[in-house]
Amino acid sequence: MENREEKIHPPFPLSPEGRGRGEGELQMVKYRTYVFVWMGLVTLTILTYTVAVGIHPGGWAILVALAIAGTKSSLVLNYFMHLKSERLLIFKVIIPLVMAVFLVFILLTFSDVVFRGVVE
Amino acid sequence: MDEAKAPVFEGAIDYTGAKLGMWLFILSELLLFGGMFILYTVYRYKSPADFHHASKELDVVLGTLNTIILLTSSLSVAVSITALQRGGRRLSAVLLMITMALGLLFLVNKGFEWTTKIGHGIYPNSPILLARPKGEILFFGLYYVMTGLHGLHVLVGVCVLCVMLILVAKDRINPMHFVPFENAGLYWHLVDIIWIFLYPLFYLIT
Repeated sequence: MENREEKIHPPFPLSPEGRGRGEGELQMVKYRTYVFVWMGLVTLTILTYTVAVGIHPGGWAILVALAIAGTKSSLVLNYFMHLKSERLLIFKVIIPLVMAVFLVFILLTFSDVVFRGVVE
Repeated sequence: MDEAKAPVFEGAIDYTGAKLGMWLFILSELLLFGGMFILYTVYRYKSPADFHHASKELDVVLGTLNTIILLTSSLSVAVSITALQRGGRRLSAVLLMITMALGLLFLVNKGFEWTTKIGHGIYPNSPILLARPKGEILFFGLYYVMTGLHGLHVLVGVCVLCVMLILVAKDRINPMHFVPFENAGLYWHLVDIIWIFLYPLFYLIT
């Protein structure tokens, strides 16, 4: 019955330093936490809908909508995708890194779009 | 000893490596959609009024409903993974099925939306659409491409979750080994995040 033994023990050593914490780590997450996050997400969805359809914030509309979308995605990233509980540095910098790359693309594109024809 | 029941693990498996690989894939997906978001931003900047008019024709209520459906499916898959980690295989399987059903419901709604639009003669290169201002043509072009590509991702996600359901049922994914399931969950949340941005940009232009 060696196989059974193998199944009960983690397939790698668990040490307090966090090395090989691996697959046991996420058991900490409570169902309740997920439900609260979901409630927050639904509330923000209703909020963004109400602001856009009911309040008409004019020129600020796009910024308000994007701020709410950003908040929602950070909730999903941190809680549903567990970035908040990741301890390795790479998982901490991975999203800011891709946002930075994206920002560079936006700035380069818009510096072309906005000033094309102006500087000639 | 049953050969088929032999332990899956020969020592350590690279849990972090598997997850990092998934994250790299997710980042490439974000940049793929990011490119289209830039395109959207440029065209919207160039013809704000046309985007505004075209956006008004989309069904905001259906879009909001679909947002809530996808958010709920994200909740169910997250709880499903935790349930499996705690040894609740049945609960995990039920939640997985709910997630897949919600994903399909999203696609059905999207299908209705597209069918209505196409019924009104608004689809890429249609004579009715081509007779409209340039900005509106661009808006609907982007609408079909971006929601279409997103819908494709939802479909792929449902298929991946279906594979996970089979693996859970076969006990190939269990509290000792669930990296594939977790990665499938990450993919599903990615699809959710993309929709979180598509929703205000297409449905809520005021």
